[in-house]
Amino acid sequence: MKKILFILMALAGALTVQAEEYAYLTFETTDGAKVSVDVSSLTLTISGNTLTTGSQTFTLSNLSKMYFSNSNETTDIEEITTATLDEAADIYDLQGYKVTKEQMRRGVYIVKTKSKTYKMIVK
Amino acid sequence: MKRTFLYIVALVLTIAATAQTLNVKVGSVIYQFPAAQTGEMTYSDSETVTIMGRTFSLSDIDVMTVDEASVTDNEVTVSYDGSSASVTVAGNVAQYVTPTISGAHVSILQTNIGSVDDDEITYVLSGTTTDGEFALDGSYKCTISLAGVTLMNPSGPTINISNKKRIQISAKNGTVNTLTDGADANESWKGCIYSKGQIQLQGKGSLTVNGNTKHAIKSGDYITVKNLTLTVKSTAGDGISCNKYFAMNSGDITISADDDGIQCDLEDDDAVTGESTDHEDENSGNIYIQGGTLNISTSAVGSKGVKAAGTLYINETSATTVITVTNSGGVDTSDASDLVASACLKSDKAIDISAGTLTLTNSGQGGRAINSDGTLTISGGNIIAQAQGTNYGSSGGQGGFRPGGWGGGSSSSSHKYAKGVKADGNITITGGIINIYSKSHEGLESKGTITISSGQVYVQANDDAINAASHITVSGGYVCGYSTGNDGLDSNGNMYIKGGLVYAICSGSPEVALDANTEGGYKLYVDGGTIIAIGGLEGGSSLSQSCYSANSWSKNTWYALTVGSDTFAFKTPSSGGSGIVVSGYSQPTLKSGVTVSSGNSIFDGMGYTDAGISGGSMVSLSSYSGGGGFGPGGGGGFPGGWH
Repeated sequence: MKKILFILMALAGALTVQAEEYAYLTFETTDGAKVSVDVSSLTLTISGNTLTTGSQTFTLSNLSKMYFSNSNETTDIEEITTATLDEAADIYDLQGYKVTKEQMRRGVYIVKTKSKTYKMIVK
Repeated sequence: MKRTFLYIVALVLTIAATAQTLNVKVGSVIYQFPAAQTGEMTYSDSETVTIMGRTFSLSDIDVMTVDEASVTDNEVTVSYDGSSASVTVAGNVAQYVTPTISGAHVSILQTNIGSVDDDEITYVLSGTTTDGEFALDGSYKCTISLAGVTLMNPSGPTINISNKKRIQISAKNGTVNTLTDGADANESWKGCIYSKGQIQLQGKGSLTVNGNTKHAIKSGDYITVKNLTLTVKSTAGDGISCNKYFAMNSGDITISADDDGIQCDLEDDDAVTGESTDHEDENSGNIYIQGGTLNISTSAVGSKGVKAAGTLYINETSATTVITVTNSGGVDTSDASDLVASACLKSDKAIDISAGTLTLTNSGQGGRAINSDGTLTISGGNIIAQAQGTNYGSSGGQGGFRPGGWGGGSSSSSHKYAKGVKADGNITITGGIINIYSKSHEGLESKGTITISSGQVYVQANDDAINAASHITVSGGYVCGYSTGNDGLDSNGNMYIKGGLVYAICSGSPEVALDANTEGGYKLYVDGGTIIAIGGLEGGSSLSQSCYSANSWSKNTWYALTVGSDTFAFKTPSSGGSGIVVSGYSQPTLKSGVTVSSGNSIFDGMGYTDAGISGGSMVSLSSYSGGGGFGPGGGGGFPGGWH
């Protein structure tokens, strides 16, 4: 009986190591942004140039990698609309020059509104 | 304690059930990646994703899911279901395994050239199909685990391995597996199971292989068998055919073959070797039966139950060995200039039997129970060898007396004689219990010498019971040569009786019980041992040990010969040569009509050593100087055969 108990305990230990639980599957895009999605009963489908999982859709050309993670690693990305830009008090490029929204070309900008400051990438 | 035990069991079950797996489905193949092993999975140019070294074209992926499926590392499962098949591939070997599926025909390309995570890849086959196969190419060894699979392929092998490395085919414990190929008149494939490389057959399940085109199981390299319960039916070729060597260590094999039961050839492309340590790089053509139960029946002309291009070794180094072979094939006359006799056991080189229980029966015309093109060595075992067929190309009998005491001689190009045990080389017997019966010709024959130093040898034959083209030497053991049509023991060189016990019976004048080639300048030398010779000794013998004779004997009667304190009881035949000669290390006494109450039975019940006897009457013995004539002998009539 002792021997069986020992074997079971060893087995349990081994399986514990193997069976690490992950809560998320995290996607990272080429710009470094991350989106973590809940892995429970997760289904990923690919159609054309998009990968869809639940409510998330990724453009394949933007995807860099994915990996299982224990925490939600979603970066602080919020959707910016034209209305957001209209509310912008100031827009700066990375050199610190102030620009207008009409002057924005491909690149990274700092957009300040009354309520928040965004880092914005124009493609 | 019980509660703790239950907790742990529950914990184990819970943990086992909660493993996370990323499944990548590509057609009928699912690659299963344990979440804990995946690490970073990289996308590239919106074209591919690479997971654990396996790069998938994104356009090929049907769907990816994450679930709780458990994955066994190094395992690939193949499930057959009617006209389709599905495959799962464990993530850690996904980069090395590319399955192609067409209906239920599964073809695997395996690209690893070494172990993966210190192990080989295992393919687990299950399910049923009437039109499917498992094909594999690669360059590293692997295991095929049969987990309850019924596989039929009407147009090719069921398992077809192009990989030249070692393939282990293992029937999982308790499973029943059946493989059947179709019949193809063009013989487009070589076996129901075919592998270019080595095959290790094992497992504690059962496997039935039905070969209908060529061989049932064919390897271009060696084959070994361990544990497996294997049933082989071949309607068109050999049951098991391989090159280099064959080894059976244990298990239970039943073979019904149209051609040879088990055949091992040399590999022509490699240098020929002898037996090597652990059979490393061995190309000997040897067959090693070292344990297990082997039942073989063959029926084709010229077929062999077991046929080795090298040496056939039978022993019990791994487990108890039981071999039963029946052959009804008869003579292969397809080449009139080279007739081929059938045999239960055949070697092109040598046969060496040191243990095991062997029952060998050849009922085919001109057939042999044991046939060695080289030497035959028997040092142990319990052997029954029977040649029940008639001679091919003769009237069926032994052909009568040959001047000079010739025995049956070799089979000419137009004849094949049915013989119990035949060797072209020397025969050496140092142990074992051997019973040989030959209905039509010689029982135990050597084209060289016969040397017996121990064991029990009983031979009953219609021609010479024991015949050697050269010398015969008996220095120990118990030897009975009982001929119903010629000499008991016939040497075409000298015959030396130095020890042991020899009971020889000839059919009648002009044959003798112990015959040496006096006409050729050779002699019978009696220098020791205990001798009973019904029909007398060759004339001109050298008898350094005194011999004694009686002019007559009674048929079917128990006699007792006592030498010193040793009594040997023997039963006389229903017919035989006239007169009886006896000899021992001291002057023997002979009693007729005794009742045997105890002793050790030998010679298939015709003799008792250490016999306890009662009754009987003393037989008057006279000194015998050799070659003296006797009056008419015992009764006539052919005995009833093997008993």
